[in-house]
Amino acid sequence: MDMNERKIGDVILALDNISLSFGSMKVLNNISFDVKQGEIRSIIGPNGAGKSSMLNVINGFYHPQEGSITFRGEKRKEMDVHKAAASGIARTFQNIALFKGMSTLDNIMTGRNLKIKSNLFQQAIYWGKAQKEEIEHRYKVEEIIDFLEIQDIRKTPVGRLPYGFQKRVELGRALAAEPDILLLDEPMAGMNVEEKEDMSRFILDINDEFGTTIILIEHDMGVVMDLSDRVVVLDYGLQLADGPPDEVRSNQKVIDAYLGVSH
Amino acid sequence: MRIERDIIYIILAFIVLMVVVPWTAGQLSDQIFFNWPFFFEVAIGGLLSGVMYSLVALGFVLIFKASGVFNFSQGAIVLFSALTLVGLHELGLPMWLAMIATMGVMYLVAVAIEKFVLGKLVNQEHIILFMATIGIAYFLDGFGQILWGSDVKLLDLGISQAPGFYFDGLILINDFDLFAAVVAGVMVLSLAIFFQYTRIGRALRAVADDHQAALSVGIPLNHIWIIVWTVAGLVGLVAGIMWGSKMGVQFSLALIALKALPVLILGGFTSVPGAIIGGLIIGAGEKLAEVFLAPMIGGGIEEWFAYMLALAFLVFRPQGLFGEKIIERV
Amino acid sequence: MIYREAGVYKSTYRADQAILTIPQDRWFMTAIFAVAFLLIPAFSSEYWLGAIMLPFLILALAALGLNILTGYAGQLSLGTGGFMATGAFSAYKLATSFPDMHILLVIFGAGLIAAAVGILFGIPSLRIKGFYLAVATLASQFFLIWMFDKFGWFTNYSASGVISAPPMTIFGDIFVTGPQASLVAKYMFTLSVVVVLALVAKNLVRSNTGREWMAVRDMDIAAEIIGIPMLSTKLKAFAVSSFFCGVAGALWAFLYTGSVEPLAFDVNRSFQVLFMIIIGGLGSIMGAFLGSAFIILLPILLNNAPNLLGLNIRTDMVSHLEFMIFGALIIFFLIVEPHGLARLWQLAKEKLRLWPFPH
Repeated sequence: MDMNERKIGDVILALDNISLSFGSMKVLNNISFDVKQGEIRSIIGPNGAGKSSMLNVINGFYHPQEGSITFRGEKRKEMDVHKAAASGIARTFQNIALFKGMSTLDNIMTGRNLKIKSNLFQQAIYWGKAQKEEIEHRYKVEEIIDFLEIQDIRKTPVGRLPYGFQKRVELGRALAAEPDILLLDEPMAGMNVEEKEDMSRFILDINDEFGTTIILIEHDMGVVMDLSDRVVVLDYGLQLADGPPDEVRSNQKVIDAYLGVSH
Repeated sequence: MRIERDIIYIILAFIVLMVVVPWTAGQLSDQIFFNWPFFFEVAIGGLLSGVMYSLVALGFVLIFKASGVFNFSQGAIVLFSALTLVGLHELGLPMWLAMIATMGVMYLVAVAIEKFVLGKLVNQEHIILFMATIGIAYFLDGFGQILWGSDVKLLDLGISQAPGFYFDGLILINDFDLFAAVVAGVMVLSLAIFFQYTRIGRALRAVADDHQAALSVGIPLNHIWIIVWTVAGLVGLVAGIMWGSKMGVQFSLALIALKALPVLILGGFTSVPGAIIGGLIIGAGEKLAEVFLAPMIGGGIEEWFAYMLALAFLVFRPQGLFGEKIIERV
Repeated sequence: MIYREAGVYKSTYRADQAILTIPQDRWFMTAIFAVAFLLIPAFSSEYWLGAIMLPFLILALAALGLNILTGYAGQLSLGTGGFMATGAFSAYKLATSFPDMHILLVIFGAGLIAAAVGILFGIPSLRIKGFYLAVATLASQFFLIWMFDKFGWFTNYSASGVISAPPMTIFGDIFVTGPQASLVAKYMFTLSVVVVLALVAKNLVRSNTGREWMAVRDMDIAAEIIGIPMLSTKLKAFAVSSFFCGVAGALWAFLYTGSVEPLAFDVNRSFQVLFMIIIGGLGSIMGAFLGSAFIILLPILLNNAPNLLGLNIRTDMVSHLEFMIFGALIIFFLIVEPHGLARLWQLAKEKLRLWPFPH
């Protein structure tokens, strides 16, 4: 993985001194790091370290009590969920958050909702503008279905899909929004080696072909070290380390708290 | 039991409104008569009828707390138990024996419900269970009336329904309503203790949280449900006796259940004290509004006032006064 | 075997997205339309047209409305009756205040007014969910019925309290309301309105709006995170749903009963329509029609069955029995097929794919 081959740009997202509490429980304690355009950034740490909460802060689901978020040059105290989605941040979830009553195709189509412009009346008539739009977006969604190799299951209700496929569909839904920043919360949890290889390939391809910036939470250290450009390590809400994989891997604090030493 | 400061403020605000609004209305309008003894009479009457609402609401809370099911048929249960009681009594059983026999019948009803309905719908979504209870309501309605007939029946407990003078002859209060309040109070206390401190109570709370998880730690789901529905049947019986004595045992008893819904909203679906306080607020609010506000609009606002009141509360506190706040995680 | 998808290749997305993709489905629908538009009006008795087809169609429309709100958008509502009443009384006021207004405009206008009221009572849904919302919709139900009952303005201060729908025509001189209207005219008018609105409903649910509704129903938090706006999505559901219910209410009063009274739209009506969509199938357009047919036909069946079987049961007994059987049926459906008749229908079609082969 040659970093020079990929175009990594300037800082697109910066988090400064973020602190987040729920009542008396401090979940994130003075976390600061930045993310560069086009890179693959990982957040690692033991369970309960606050990683998912960090992602939730980035896309506006949680509002931090302290600190600031600078996104595309604009500095603000917190993100708004809807604005985050509209400005190109998409994500997947630790516990799959698909719409169980809809098919794969429909789920991924929901990812296009911000790009669909026809109004209620046009959709009520359907023939004309609404149908044209549906077909346009269908083309796009089919590209994603091709990319993720899920053609067979496009009409299946997602509630009936095995876990690994559900994760793929969720990734598809995030991709459908054509995001600039993709937040992936443990995309490989519960997968076997083959499935992990597939998922890694997808992540790399997304970053390579579309230039999407990826922020990734993962527990599989092999995957993290292979894929990432830079890694942030959290533990109980505190920031332990921040840097390229090799640096982090040999950081003593990180070894003590999380990685351990190979015997 | 900790009470949040917010809740105290809300209740205080409400009490203030309940006094100020009728007084102002009395000043402003000729059609509305206001003096302090009259006000207290209406307020107390309202509070007492609120206690009766709470009795019905209690049955809902029990079942919801213990199984997560919103039991739409609670009203039908109230009616069915009262019908059975009166029916058995008319067949010749002395009242005390009839009561025991009715409790037995309600146990059988609970067993049947568990076997034919709940047991078959384990782990379905709550909305499906809710709709199943609507089915149970219709079934019990029809069944009860086939068994015992549909004319109005008298239920006489031997307690005077006539208003008596209290506070030096200044205020008229119904002896019976007072009796009902005491009964309800005793029920609430026993239920609260039951839930909080007994093993069965803990098991019930576990079941309400998660059926599957409760099963996997060995809690016998079907036994639990039978217990809960039997207790709800008992509560329903007590409510049925109270309401039935007041207005006769008849079909409209089941509609009282609809009135209990705003009580539940106010108090939160999972709280026993919430059912009581909610009932008091709804009962008093409704009566006061009917006497001191309605004449200005044309009367009859009792039909919807309770619901609007509950709605207003909900807008400020979506989980009701004492309900559990749902924290959503992603 | 006879009914199958094999051999049906769709080469465009347009074909794939069509409402009826399998040729056999298209034949079936054509047949249904032929029966509905040609055979039934030609050969049915007055009783069948007036007492069965009309309420079936109108309540199916109301069921469509409720299904959009509850089945697709996931907002449980017990206020259907109130919105139907709004439509009925709005139609009455429009027709009497503007006597020259065309009946289609009256009904459409009534629907719009009901939609506005629906939006108003839908606002709480932004804060309140689930059962709490259902009870909140009861507030709208009881309040609206009380309002129409109480204030004489809605009945044009009628002394007797009974107001009848004024006679109105289409195409110049064919009466569809009032004593001169023939049942065939009423039926055809109702059928046309319902078919058009059913098509509108189908279009809405297969487009982006429908997906937004279903997303809110299935997991509203995730929906919000991917950018679906809660406010407009939920209010759209209330608006469209109330529009449908309002039109249904106007049709009920003007074309079916001929009179406008609040009692026809009380809380029992709300429950009746809810049962229709439960039994018919939540989240299904066809389910609304199946459910309506079931609920309309069942009492007739129960009323006539004792006679057919030779039993003699008192009339009040019959109504109690109806309640019991009704309740039992709801429970039965929920156990056997919680997704209602529509799903049973789909399963039957899947079986037909193989028939007459065993596997």
